[in-house]
Amino acid sequence: MSMMLMIHPDKCTGCRNCELACSMEHEGSFRPKASRVHVYTWEREGFSVPMMCQQCKDPACVAVCMPKAMHRNPANGQVELDADKCIGCKMCVQACPFGCASWDFQGLQILKCDTCDGAPSCAAICPTHALEWVEDTVSAQARKRSFAAKLKNAFAEV
Amino acid sequence: MHGWIGKILRVDLGTGKITTEALKPDLARDYIGARGLGTKYMYDEVDPTVDPLSPANKLIFASGPMTGTFAPSAGRYDVVTKGPLTGTIAASNSGGAWGPELKYAGYDMLILEGRAAKPVYLWIQDDKVEIRDAAHLWGKDVPETTEALNEETAADAKIACIGPAGEKLSYIASIMNDMQRAAGRTGVGAVMGSKNLKAVVVRGTGAVTVADKEAFLAAVAKASTMIKEHPVGGTGLRLYGTNVLVNILNSVGGLPTGNFQDGHFPTADKVGGETLAANQLQRPKGCFSCIISCGRATKVTNPKYKGEGEGPEYETAWGFGPDCRIDDLDAVIKANYYCNEYGLDTISMGGTVACAMELFHRGIITRDDTEGLELDFGNADAMVEAVRLTGLGQGFGKKLALGSYRLASLYGHPELSMTVKKQEMPAYDPRAVQGIGLNYATNNRGGCHVRGYTISPEVLGVPVKVDKDSIDGKAELVALFQNLTAALDSSGSCLFATFGIGAPEFAELMTALTGFAYTGDSFIEAGERIWNLERLWNLKAGLTAADDTLPPRLLNEPIVTGPSKGAVSRLPEMLPLYYGARGWDAQGVPTKEKLSALALA
Amino acid sequence: MKVSYFALLREATKKRSEIWERPAPTVRDLLRDLVAEYGPNFARWILKDGELAGFAIILVNGQDVRGLQGLDTPLTPDSDVFIFPPLAGG
Repeated sequence: MSMMLMIHPDKCTGCRNCELACSMEHEGSFRPKASRVHVYTWEREGFSVPMMCQQCKDPACVAVCMPKAMHRNPANGQVELDADKCIGCKMCVQACPFGCASWDFQGLQILKCDTCDGAPSCAAICPTHALEWVEDTVSAQARKRSFAAKLKNAFAEV
Repeated sequence: MHGWIGKILRVDLGTGKITTEALKPDLARDYIGARGLGTKYMYDEVDPTVDPLSPANKLIFASGPMTGTFAPSAGRYDVVTKGPLTGTIAASNSGGAWGPELKYAGYDMLILEGRAAKPVYLWIQDDKVEIRDAAHLWGKDVPETTEALNEETAADAKIACIGPAGEKLSYIASIMNDMQRAAGRTGVGAVMGSKNLKAVVVRGTGAVTVADKEAFLAAVAKASTMIKEHPVGGTGLRLYGTNVLVNILNSVGGLPTGNFQDGHFPTADKVGGETLAANQLQRPKGCFSCIISCGRATKVTNPKYKGEGEGPEYETAWGFGPDCRIDDLDAVIKANYYCNEYGLDTISMGGTVACAMELFHRGIITRDDTEGLELDFGNADAMVEAVRLTGLGQGFGKKLALGSYRLASLYGHPELSMTVKKQEMPAYDPRAVQGIGLNYATNNRGGCHVRGYTISPEVLGVPVKVDKDSIDGKAELVALFQNLTAALDSSGSCLFATFGIGAPEFAELMTALTGFAYTGDSFIEAGERIWNLERLWNLKAGLTAADDTLPPRLLNEPIVTGPSKGAVSRLPEMLPLYYGARGWDAQGVPTKEKLSALALA
Repeated sequence: MKVSYFALLREATKKRSEIWERPAPTVRDLLRDLVAEYGPNFARWILKDGELAGFAIILVNGQDVRGLQGLDTPLTPDSDVFIFPPLAGG
């Protein structure tokens, strides 16, 4: 059974511990701008949503990647980036509808969730379980898709 | 350096000169950061007799070494300056994400000097720093300002700003960051207004580094577990927020009521945390790196008081509620929203309205003075309107904006101001809880609970229960709490982390993070050093032992009803013991021996 | 006697307060009966191994029982009892 990161925005308090854990895991320091997960907060409403790679079924980032650096790993079903093949063209950054592939101007690298090789540090640290690493079941996927659709619409309105 | 960035940004708003300088490692080690380090720079650079609203006063935004890391609930910063409300050294502490962003931009501290010729804001993007025109923002409230600045700088920039109250130099004006979080106390917003500085906008792309990664991760895991598993820190604050305290304080007879005329309010439950959770609460909120989430995202649908935002905290609910003899939670929350939007300290605002209500109730002021406002106890509409007018600096609000001490003095009755060193006391009656009264009286920034929160042992029983009515051991207890809090404030930690961890855990975190060896004792000693330095500043500013007191009401007029009926504060018995416990002379002046032991001589 | 509940104990009992008729000579007796009535969601905040958990706050007529006789604090039909789970704020 493969696994997925489930987002529960109703439980998110906006603390950004996930960003800190992610940057510590990947960069060895606390640098949220190098995090692969980002928390978006609407301060007036007090509402926060953590966002990271949604592991799309038809990933736009893979479709646009000329050197085939972005690819789906058949072993675990995750969309992965092969940094050795990446030429830094940033097409994936433009293509991702959720803004979940980004360019690190300091590290000169594409930032995209790699699920910490199957043990995501963001879910481990989240104090309210707004991020959970769960089994990728049909119902979990349906829930995630409906949330992603809502979110896409919300961003489209902005 | 690790933990600390090692760099300070200095901006002279008068000349426009922008410079950076290195942070000295030994100063960082000894004064930690935030409140402590900011105070050290104020002490070395500013004459304590300075007029707080003059260009010669400085305004320091200072983060701590733990700020920006995932040490649990440790993302805070302090605004350090000379406070116009109190005339003391001021450090006003706030959460949110602004403090961490300053560090990611590459600075531990921002020191602002002088006064801009016209309204400006500061835009910091890593090492690119600009002073920009703010004419179009002057007069805007905090949410409007925040949104406008996010629009014209960067959507993910973090913003600290003042509202109309700070622009108009209200003595109780706050600095707001991330729209909803407040550096509230001592009138720091007026200092920012006096410098014609509307906002400081920061976006940082850098990192906070760690000296010993493995040890730090282990210390964080341990501290987080202790907080989560603690029966107090773990669940209650997220479910009910700080306002859960209304009922317990009322039940022991320590809920100041009607401008501290009484210590018990029969219908207090209607403004408590349980009522809030059942009605207006939308969801809990957490500051940066917080695992406790005591923040309240709330919404009021009652058309009269409609709005949404954050709050109330316990002190806010008390100040606009029982202290004004009001039990309408919607009205209380609306007053809180106005404070957030216009940039006012909720505790001082609540205490000032309560004082005005007593002046009105006694006939000392009339509708002629209030410009028609029926500002009597229990009048929720008038309370909310008074807060709005104060925020905008209109009508009778112009006088309320002075704070209760100056207001009551205008009408010849300073004794009706429930303040210490001219700052409004919070929501714990010193007659019912002896130690907290000693803390108020001796606090380096006047009436303040968070710098010596003895309510924890005296009422809540954390870490152990002590008798709230006894004065035995209170001098030592207060001094210890004040020292520990000075150190943890300076580290960037939230006070609420202490509902789970203590000095040994803070020392572990600090050691692993910074590479300097701290022990529990040396951490508390740093706090004692900071406390004594604040005291030295205040003495040089002209304060004396005579200022270490409580309003006469609390020393002479017993609580009238409730479980603490008949109690008065026994401050005069405790104060000499406190000076002794601190190693100060009978006049409250730190002795040479004490100062040299703390390397302050 | 009158017993009032706060915070999570309102969730556990679904009540803010009640008149408790069953005789309870001491706080210990009262708590034993309340635990029987409301079960583990009530007990978990109050007792640890049958003793007061330490952080729960029980007031009898406005006085914290930790400053009286603890679980042995005597009760009468006129007693006004307040029970708080462990809590904090600031």
